[in-house]
Amino acid sequence: MIAEPSRLDQTTTIGKSEPRKDGPAKAAGLALYVSDISMPGVCYGAVLRSPHHHARILSIATSAAQALPGVTAVITAWDIPGKRIHGPLVQDQPALAWEVVRHMGEPVALVVAEDKTSAEKGLAAIQVEYEPLEAVFDACQALQPGAPLVHPSGNLLTEYDVSSGDLRSGFAQSEIILEETFQTPRISPAYLEAESALGYFDEEDRLTVVVSSQKPFDDRQHIAETLKLPIEEVRVKSAVVGGAFGGKEDSELHILAGLATWLTKRPVRLVNTRWESFLAHPKRHPATLHYKLGARADGTLLALEAVIHMDTGAYASYGPAVGSLLTEMVQGAYRIPNMRVITRVVYTNSPYSGAMRGFGSPQAHFATESMLDILAARLKMDPLELRRKNILQPEDHFFTRVQVGETAKSLPLILEQASAARERLRQSTPAAGRLSGVGLALSLQSMGLGHRVPDDSTNRLEWSPDGRLVIYIGAPELGQGMQTAVEQIAAETLGIPYQAVETIDVDSLVSPNGGVTCASRMTYLVGNSVILAARKLVDETLLYAAQKLNLPLEQLAYDKGMVRLPDGQQMAVSEFSGRAAEEGLILGASAMFSFPYPAERTPGHLPIGMPHIMHAFGANVVRVEVDPELGTVLVKEMVAIHDVGRVINRASVEGQVEGGAVMAIGYALTEAMQLKEGQRWVDSFTEYLIPTALDIPDKIETILLELPEISGPFGVKGIAEMGLVPVAPAIANAVFDAVGVRATELPIRPEIIAFSQPTLS
Amino acid sequence: MLTVGLTVNGSFFQIRTAPEKTLLDLLRYDLGMTGVKDACGGVGECGACTVLLDGKLVNACLVLVGQAEGREVVTIEGLADEASLHPIQHAFVEAGAIQCGFCTPGAILAAYDLLYHNPHPDDNQIREALSGNLCRCTGYTKMVAAVHNAEKELSHDC
Repeated sequence: MIAEPSRLDQTTTIGKSEPRKDGPAKAAGLALYVSDISMPGVCYGAVLRSPHHHARILSIATSAAQALPGVTAVITAWDIPGKRIHGPLVQDQPALAWEVVRHMGEPVALVVAEDKTSAEKGLAAIQVEYEPLEAVFDACQALQPGAPLVHPSGNLLTEYDVSSGDLRSGFAQSEIILEETFQTPRISPAYLEAESALGYFDEEDRLTVVVSSQKPFDDRQHIAETLKLPIEEVRVKSAVVGGAFGGKEDSELHILAGLATWLTKRPVRLVNTRWESFLAHPKRHPATLHYKLGARADGTLLALEAVIHMDTGAYASYGPAVGSLLTEMVQGAYRIPNMRVITRVVYTNSPYSGAMRGFGSPQAHFATESMLDILAARLKMDPLELRRKNILQPEDHFFTRVQVGETAKSLPLILEQASAARERLRQSTPAAGRLSGVGLALSLQSMGLGHRVPDDSTNRLEWSPDGRLVIYIGAPELGQGMQTAVEQIAAETLGIPYQAVETIDVDSLVSPNGGVTCASRMTYLVGNSVILAARKLVDETLLYAAQKLNLPLEQLAYDKGMVRLPDGQQMAVSEFSGRAAEEGLILGASAMFSFPYPAERTPGHLPIGMPHIMHAFGANVVRVEVDPELGTVLVKEMVAIHDVGRVINRASVEGQVEGGAVMAIGYALTEAMQLKEGQRWVDSFTEYLIPTALDIPDKIETILLELPEISGPFGVKGIAEMGLVPVAPAIANAVFDAVGVRATELPIRPEIIAFSQPTLS
Repeated sequence: MLTVGLTVNGSFFQIRTAPEKTLLDLLRYDLGMTGVKDACGGVGECGACTVLLDGKLVNACLVLVGQAEGREVVTIEGLADEASLHPIQHAFVEAGAIQCGFCTPGAILAAYDLLYHNPHPDDNQIREALSGNLCRCTGYTKMVAAVHNAEKELSHDC
């Protein structure tokens, strides 16, 4: 008997904070990240990067570098056997630039050397002649006539224009119309492990690249195309990944490691330094969001028009998809009958932007949730009551025309919790000289990649000869705890202990393609795939048992790791898997699960990737203390409320919420990757301030609601991004509550507060 | 070249090395102690290479090999014994204080140093002690809880 995922009671491991199995190795310092893997004779790879924001390359002279002792090879675009241009959605990014560099830090050449010192000497000896070109760093400016062209096709990469209802009549009926422009900064994922890759030839002389990546199978494709090799001749393996947050969905460094290894026939390791990670890997898009909001005097929302410009930098990366999700998330948790959102994703000469935790949602939420508080202040309404009046109901439709559905039932519960939390936080008194403020924001976040984007995952289960369950997972663990959750789902489904399950990291030689680890979808997607595979595995096991025992299949049953015989006797699965192993057989099964996009829920009038149909709502309530003279903000207390469908592993879910919340404190208060005096980008932790242990709230309370998603394994929705999404606007709203200053720009720097006149009405 | 003698996790090593090397390079590349991480490029910003040098918490990337001459180093590899993790390491695992794990060795050593000098720290003292160790995954909250749990376990031992 297999556990029925829809049965939410009587679970054994689901819901428990099982300790992650990679924990002991990580705590002991024994987990092997790409930079830790020992490899005899490994060469040191280093990338020569553009010192210009925009320049034509006139010549690249490598012979002096090539002649240096210890330098094995100097590689330029001309050495690439296959495709010289790559990109996850738009093929626009050279693996190595040869004609034009479009952002500071762009790779121009690759040095492979015996050691670091030789590699550095090699880099210094390469002579590149550049003709600097005029550069543009702002999305709006890049669309002006006469702006420097980043790509010959023009600076407008993608434009979305999505609407519903009748905007004109919506504004005509409005008794109050507000307009505001919001600005959000360029954010680095700033995972502690910078991007890295290690290429070598395996025991069968096959090119193998070990990656720190969210998508090893796509990396494999890009490497094969660059080298003009059949895909089977490239093997990709996942090392332990030191954080990703969307920033490890680009293949740039993995391609270079494959290229260097292939051309030199030597093992080569490439590890980005911190400044390279800042300059040459994707960022969260800076955005300018202009909102016009119309409402009745009683607070009923009637119309919203948003015009948004996103700076995708020099290359598209996931920009078009981020723009699409940002567009969808503008609506937030609210019923707005007349809407139009125009989003332009624009090329500039900034470092490129791409996927990062929230995927457009943090920008949209900062604007929408700030706008609601601005409206509440103008109408002298309680911001929470304004929200309560306008929340989506299950029968409502998003402006993408997707019905909201059952998930909206969480919203009244979320508001109830938020209201109680706000009362609690209001009881606290601030330290002397500081003013206390409490703010809140709701959140909407989707799960999955969106309609008409391949959105599936294949994973494999096997019984080991001694009866343990082995998961050949098809997508990498990034640190978030997906593997643990999937192991718990597998254990619960098959009725075996969590300790009896183990997971094999991605290796294209043995693992199925489980898709990209992203989009708050993995516990749902891989979990569902594993449940399907478990059913097939049980069938396979019983079939084998029937053959071996010479009994009719229908007289055998599976129960909790045992095969039950007609006489009531039970035999452990290991008796069969062990015997199969002796015969050279493996009892195993693979299954693919595809994210469902039922036709009746997926309107066809939208661009590819729209709409998303699975959503979860949440809220964040924060108390800040502001020093009105210095303008400094301390986030003192926080309550995070999220509907996760079902908690699989409580500690992991809390970890996602707490980690996302603290990351968002950086987004709200300190982080911005800016251009300093027009010359160079902020590119170190000294200038780019991510929160330390001293910047966290005294208390983060996580309240988890569990309104099951009917299609989810054991009811799961998702959690990886939601914890972050509402936090920055909640902080901005709390700052307004404390000192009456409305920050329309992130981060909320002290000078914004100290030099502002309060706008308390 | 320079010959440096130092004790690492109880074993004495004598190594010929370039004088411009840092203790981080020596530990990671000469001695293979890859639990000592590099996350900021060797400029002392992140705390991932935290080790104990004669019982003092240091960023190994800011110590030149010559400065380690004759001294005693403890890395994360020196905390557990053969059979089991140190109670602080165990507490980090149990509390869910580890996600990607890249900052974990440094954070655990910072917690070790704290509890050595102050067996019963309050939340603020723990946060102060961990403030030199950047973490991007956990939001530090479960690390603070882990240090409290370890504190209880360690005081039972006494």
